[in-house]
Formats: sequence, C-alpha cells, structure tokens
Amino acid sequence: MGIDARGTVGLVGVLSRYLALSALVPIAVALYYDESIWPFVGAGLGLAAFGTVLRLWGGDISHVGAREGFLVVALVWLVAAVYAALPYLLSGDPQLAGPADALFEGMSGFTTTGATVLTDIEALPQSLLMWRQFTQWLGGMGIIVLALAVLPRLRVGGRQLLESELPGPEVDQLATRIREATTRFSALYLALTALEAGILGILGWTGIDPEMDTFNAIAHAFTTIPTGGFSPQNRSIEPFAPVTQWVILVFMIAGGVNFALLFQVFVRRRLRVVLRDEELRAYGFALLAAAAILTAEIWTKRPEIGEEAIRVGFFQAASILTTTGYATVDFALWPTLALVTLVGLMFVGASAGSTSGSVKVLRHVLMAKILGRELRQTVHPELVAPIRLNRVVVDERTLRAVMSFVLLYIGIFVAGTLVITIDAAYNGPTVTPFEAIGVVAATLGNVGPAVGFAGPFGSYAPFSDVSTVALTTLMWIGRIEVIPVVVLLTRSYWRS
Amino acid sequence: MYPAPAVKIFIIGAGQVGSTIVEALHGEHNLTVIDLDPARLTPLAYRYDIATIEANGASRRALADAGVRDADLVIACTSRDEANLVAATFARIEAPRATTVIRTSNVEYIELWREGRLDVDFVVSSEIETAHAITRVIGVPAALQTDVFADGQVQMVEYEVTELSNPDVLGKPLRQCDLVPRDSRVVSKIRGETMTIPNGATVINAGDRLVVVGSPEAAQAWGELLSPGEGVVEDVVVFGGGQVGVAIARQLLEQCIGVRLIEPDRERARRIAEELPDARVYQATGLDPDFLERERIGQAQAAVFAMREDSKNHYAATLARVHGVTFTIAIVHDPIAREVYEHSGVDVTVNPRQVTAEEIVRFAHDPRTQQVAMVEGDRFEVLDLTTSPTSGYVGLRFRDMPIRGAVIGAIVRDGKAVFPHSDDVLQAGDRVIVFTESSRVADVERVL
Repeated sequence: MGIDARGTVGLVGVLSRYLALSALVPIAVALYYDESIWPFVGAGLGLAAFGTVLRLWGGDISHVGAREGFLVVALVWLVAAVYAALPYLLSGDPQLAGPADALFEGMSGFTTTGATVLTDIEALPQSLLMWRQFTQWLGGMGIIVLALAVLPRLRVGGRQLLESELPGPEVDQLATRIREATTRFSALYLALTALEAGILGILGWTGIDPEMDTFNAIAHAFTTIPTGGFSPQNRSIEPFAPVTQWVILVFMIAGGVNFALLFQVFVRRRLRVVLRDEELRAYGFALLAAAAILTAEIWTKRPEIGEEAIRVGFFQAASILTTTGYATVDFALWPTLALVTLVGLMFVGASAGSTSGSVKVLRHVLMAKILGRELRQTVHPELVAPIRLNRVVVDERTLRAVMSFVLLYIGIFVAGTLVITIDAAYNGPTVTPFEAIGVVAATLGNVGPAVGFAGPFGSYAPFSDVSTVALTTLMWIGRIEVIPVVVLLTRSYWRS
Repeated sequence: MYPAPAVKIFIIGAGQVGSTIVEALHGEHNLTVIDLDPARLTPLAYRYDIATIEANGASRRALADAGVRDADLVIACTSRDEANLVAATFARIEAPRATTVIRTSNVEYIELWREGRLDVDFVVSSEIETAHAITRVIGVPAALQTDVFADGQVQMVEYEVTELSNPDVLGKPLRQCDLVPRDSRVVSKIRGETMTIPNGATVINAGDRLVVVGSPEAAQAWGELLSPGEGVVEDVVVFGGGQVGVAIARQLLEQCIGVRLIEPDRERARRIAEELPDARVYQATGLDPDFLERERIGQAQAAVFAMREDSKNHYAATLARVHGVTFTIAIVHDPIAREVYEHSGVDVTVNPRQVTAEEIVRFAHDPRTQQVAMVEGDRFEVLDLTTSPTSGYVGLRFRDMPIRGAVIGAIVRDGKAVFPHSDDVLQAGDRVIVFTESSRVADVERVL
C-alpha cells in the first residue's frame, strides 16, 4: 500500500471531533434568540460520531506525513462542507432544502468563498445566519494553518517559500504541524476578529451607524478577516454608514496580508522588515491600481462622485482582490471596463499566507520574474540569472511548481467554464459567456459574487443541480490550491 | 645614524611565494627557510646568504629543532592552508613573542581571523591580494601598475608613454611642460633596464615608463595626458569564476564597476550568480567567438582573465583582443608565462604568488614602514615610512637633498598629504612616500 490510509482516516477523525465542538456556538445563538437548537445539535453529534468511528477504525496518526497530507487536506474540507450543510438541511428552510444547494452553501462557508444560493438571506433564522458567518470564520482559521503549515510541507505550487514561517525543526508529522500553527496564529486571528467586532459594535451602540447592531458587528467580524464575504444582509454592506464601510475595508485589506507578516507586525513589532516584503508591496500596488481604475470609471460613468466614488472604488477593488466578496453597490450593473477589471482581479488574489483564494500575488510576482528572465535569456542565451524574492534566491524546483500551479489553475478554470456552459445549454439558466467566466472565476478563486444574476446582491440559485455541484467542486479545488486534489487523481499517488 | 634592526625571520615553504619573499628580504634580515623538498631549497641556498632546513614545517619538533624560538617573525607560506595554520600555531607555542603571518585562501580562516579567533597575527590571502592588485589597475585604466598610500590620499602609478600621449609632454624637458598636473611628482623614468630619477631637465619620450606619485586626481590627470581617452571604467568582463575571479568581481562591484563574469561550469556559474546578485553571470567558456560577438564582449572597457590555466588565459585574452577588447589583464601562474603574455599584447599581468609575497614582505620591514609596493617586478619599491628625529635629512630643503637612488614623492603631515616642492623642508615625524631601488631599501630606512 502506497499511503498510510488508516492513519489518514484516523487524523481526519481526530480533526472532525474537534470541529464538532464548533456546533456549540450556533446552539448558544439559537438559545439566545429562542430558536430551534436541534439542527446544530444534530450536526454536531453527527460529526462527533463520524469522527469517533473514523478514529476507532483508523490507525496510529503519528506516522501521517507529507504524502498523506494531500488526502487529509482534501478530505477535511469535504467533511467540513458536509458538516456545515447539515444544519441547513435539518432546519427544513425551503431555500436550502436541496442537498446540492445546502452543500454549496456549506462549501462556500468553509472555503470562505461567500457565494450563496439564497435569494432572501434575511428570511433565515438568526441562528442559521450566524452559523453561515461562523463557518467562514472557522474556515479562515483552517486556511491559515493550511497555508502556513500544511501546504508548505507538501511543497505544492511554490508553497515551499512559506516553509520558514513556522519556527523550529522540520517536523514531518502532520498532526504536530497543525497543532503548532494553530497555537501560534489562533490568538492573533481571534484578536483581530474581536477588534473588528468591537469597533463595529461601538459604531452601532453610539448611533454613528444606526443600521449596525451587536449581531451584525459579530457577524461581519466573522467574515472579514477570513476574507469570506457572507453577510446576514440581503444587500451586503450597502445599508451601513460610510464610516462602517471604511472600517470593514481596512480589515478586509488586513485579511489579505500574509498572516505571518501580520504576526511580525503585531506580536514582534517589526514593521520595517514587513514593509520591505516584495509580495506585500505588489499586493499594495495591485490594490491601488485596481481602485484607481474603478474610481475613475465610477466617477465618470455612475452617479457616485467625490468621497463616495473613492469609497465605492476602493471597497469593491479590495473586496474582489482579497477574494472577500462583500459589496457596497450592485457592481453587476457597472459598465464594461469596471466589470472586466473586477473579473480580472478574481485571478489575482491577495497574499499567499492570507485567507484569500485565487492564484495569489506571490505567484504573480514570481511568474513576472520568470517571464522577465525568459525574455532576457532569449537575447543572452548563456546568462545565468537566479530569481530572487526578498533578496533570497528561489530554487528552480519552486519556480517550476509555481508555473505548474498557474497552468493547472487555468486548465481547471477552462474545464469548469465548459461544464457550466454545457449544463446551462441543456438544463438552463441562460448564461452569457461573460457570466459563465465570472461564476467559474468567482468560485474557483473563492471570491463569491460574480457578475450578472450571480452578482453581489443576486444568487447562484438559478443554476441546475449539476452546475451547483460543479461550482461546489471548484470552490473545494480552489481552496486547497488545486494540486492536492489533482495529485489524488494520479496513479503514482496511490502506488508505493 | 639609525641602525636598521636586524630581524630573524622563519619562512616555512620555499615555493614561489617563499622564494619571492627571500629575494626581497635576504639582504637586510636573517632568513631561515624550511621546506620538505630539497630541490626547492638548494637553488635558494646557492643564490642567497640564508639558512635552509629540510624539514616538515607543520611538525612541532622540527620547528623546535630549527630554532624557531629565536624568531621575530614566522611566515608560513606553503600552498597548503592547513599546514600553514598548524605551523603558525606551533610557532606560537615555541616562540610566543614572534609575529606570525600565514598565507591562506580559505575564507573560513580569514573570517575567523577577522573575528580575532585565530591565533595568528596576520592572514594574507592570494585571492584577495590578487583582486586588490587588479582592481587598482582597473580603477586607473592607463596604468601599468598602481597602489595607494595614506588611506588613499596618495597614489603611485606607473604609466607607459606612447605616441598617443599628449604632445605637450613629449620630447621636451619636464620643466617646460605646461600641462603637468600639480600635486604630483615623477619619481622615476624607466627605459629598458635603465632607471633615471628625473629632474626639471629630463625629457620624456615614447617608450619610456614613468612612475608618478601624487594625489588621486593628479594621478588620473597623468593618465589622461599619457593615454588619452581611456576614461572611467564601467564595464569589466571577468573570465573564470574560480576563487580569484569571484574575489575580483566582488571588489569591482564594491567600487560600483559593472561586472560580467564568464564561467563554464554550470553549477559553479549558478552559485556565483546567487552569491553576486549585481554581476551578470554567463555560463560559457569564453572561447566561443559567437558568444563573444553576441554579448558584445568587445565593447567592455577591460577584460580580466582569471582562469586556472595560463595557456587558456593566454588564448582567451588573445581572442578577446581580436574581438575588440582594448584593455586586458591576465592572471599568470607560472612566472615564465608573463613574457609570453606581454609579448602577445596583454596589457597587465598579475602573479598571485608575487602579490602575496609582496603583502607578506610588508610585515618584515622596519616597524616604522607602513606599506610597501613593488614596481617592475621586484626591481623597485615604494615605501611609506615615518622620519626619525635623528635623521640627517630632517630640516633640509628638498632642493638641497642629495639624490642617491631614492626620491620622496609625497609627505603625509598631520594626516594630510603634501606634494613637496623644492623649497619645502622635511620635518621630523613626517610620513614620507619614498621610491627606491629594492637593493637600497635598508639604506633608505637607515638614513630616514
């Protein structure tokens, strides 16, 4: 047997049992609002039982290493999505009655995508709304551990560059790495969330923003740092006051920063080192450039002018670039240049060590350097030019991994678009080519809202079950960075 | 009269470096040379008045038997780094007061020594000294040789006079030349084997070689005068990425001179490119005409040939000249190769062993002497020494000083360089930059 299947199952069981504890949060909310607790009790107990069975059936987890890591990562996000979907199904809410729809909503939560099949979000009970928000917060924590501890160990897609973010000797045990990263980063993650909730809460309690209340403050804090994008409001961030939108914008941008850098800033207080980081600079540049284009376009072609145009431009640029998916206006109605810019941003993403999805700025920076070198070597064939990032030489294997990632990402994007258009042709709904591209880019990139009917105030509900499952799969593949899924499809993964 | 202190020097290793040191020091000091190979000791013993001992310098007993405990200075200059370090360590045990100097190319040793954690007094690296010698030449492109003194305030340069030199300085007495830069002095005119110490009546002709001591600006101005149009160097090609080549490239880059480095080995080229981010590294032999054309190597202002084999350096240098490189500098490993190089038009040759020996010789001079440079092989030396209060020359005007085969080119007084004119007076405690024949070094040290 090529891989340690029993150990893998055992580790998934252990992680599932921990995850089952999270049901306590929506249970508390349900009790507070005097709503039914049974959907969450059922989901929690179900996952706990499932985890226990796996744990008992599975073997010793101490030998689970990098090779099994691919399978663990893929399975954990699948299990989490199913778990997130259970309360939707058990609640019997008509909007989420279909299993495919519930799974879509669950996957959108745990992958911090923010795409929804709901058409009237506010119709859901408070506890279920908070559960949506909370799944994104949990998913965000998982992504930080994934991005900074697990994927670097698996050396996929150039992730090995982030290998140094975890201190100490190279531990090959996956369970140990997950625990280490969680203890290291969870306090900061929690602190940032609490800070945002506190600021939003104060804005509400002082009456500066009459629309903001405690529920909304916590709900939005849960989905900003994880760059999730779910909102309990039908019209996302639009109802809130400009100052609230600016606050959320700042936290959204912070959510797109490499978490290890945030750790350096807040815990180690090394701001200067952080500001020299090449990826951070490129991220900042991309954000400013996109915001400038959108602001100019809005100012000249839309009713918003002045501060409002700047705010709208910046907010939407940051929201899509960081793959959050909030909106303060219905950008689906925007003119072509602005829309194309937004869809383009869906392929950028924010920093590699953040909770954002998509290709990520780091890979774009490296791709630019690879292409630059290729061009120079066309003129100077004998030139030896190592590529550096932050003055450190990046080895050629890592560069190849980056290129393969980008190619695979594009390949899956094309395949996904094909599936959606073929399905739409036979099962409806009518999609324009741009809409098809938009929804695939938005789900594969874990952005959330796309263009057209799937826009920020719209819904993915019109899609058939086939498309819904396909888009759910894209969210899953995009979240765990393509390669862990693709590698499972190769024969050599399963052979010794 | 100031007695020259006789120094007891132990030299371990009689290879090229050892022999060069013996050649430079045998007249003034008591030398003992230790080597395992009698074939290397015998010629030295015949030629010079020195003691030779056939023994292993890296053996404590052999050193003790050779009488190292009386030594004032121990120089370990075999070609093996480890042997040198061991010999110096043993010498330290036997003769705790002696100054120890080792030759090494091991970067680790050099770093340890800089941190003060290696129990030797001085470390001399062939690679670094060679790189120094080459970067000095490249800084003044027209120079045959150059060296700086007094923290760079005084520069010594040897120039070749050609037909292209400014006609104002050709064929007439020096005192009638209007363009001669101030703050400089021509300390020597060499033509073939004869050397004259110039005065106002001396006439300069094409084919002469001049040694000039002056401020760096004046030295540069002389370069413009004697070899017009060579200007400032921005683009240097280094052939060969061995330790020497990399050391050269690194020092050039530190002086903000652009470097292109050519190394045939793939792994090595990659490592150099990683180590020197500002250099452009090519993986090529440098012997391929297509490559030289494509990369416009001919447009480089200087090319340095630092490959391991003399014959390869020679061929590559010739090829580079064919492709238009006008200024070529080559490393020469075998002293005999020097002639071949110069005959075929290589502008400057640098022998790493000779450069190393020069550096080591500095430690053997009078403690008042701060720095020594050799000119024309080892025929002449430039000394940097402090005048003693008892010297007979103190209080004399320069025009009244008797000329006996030595010239004072510059004075460093209160930390500032002064380029003396005939009415200036030498004072006690002045640091003087003196040009002299090697055989007169001891005399100069005595009278000043």
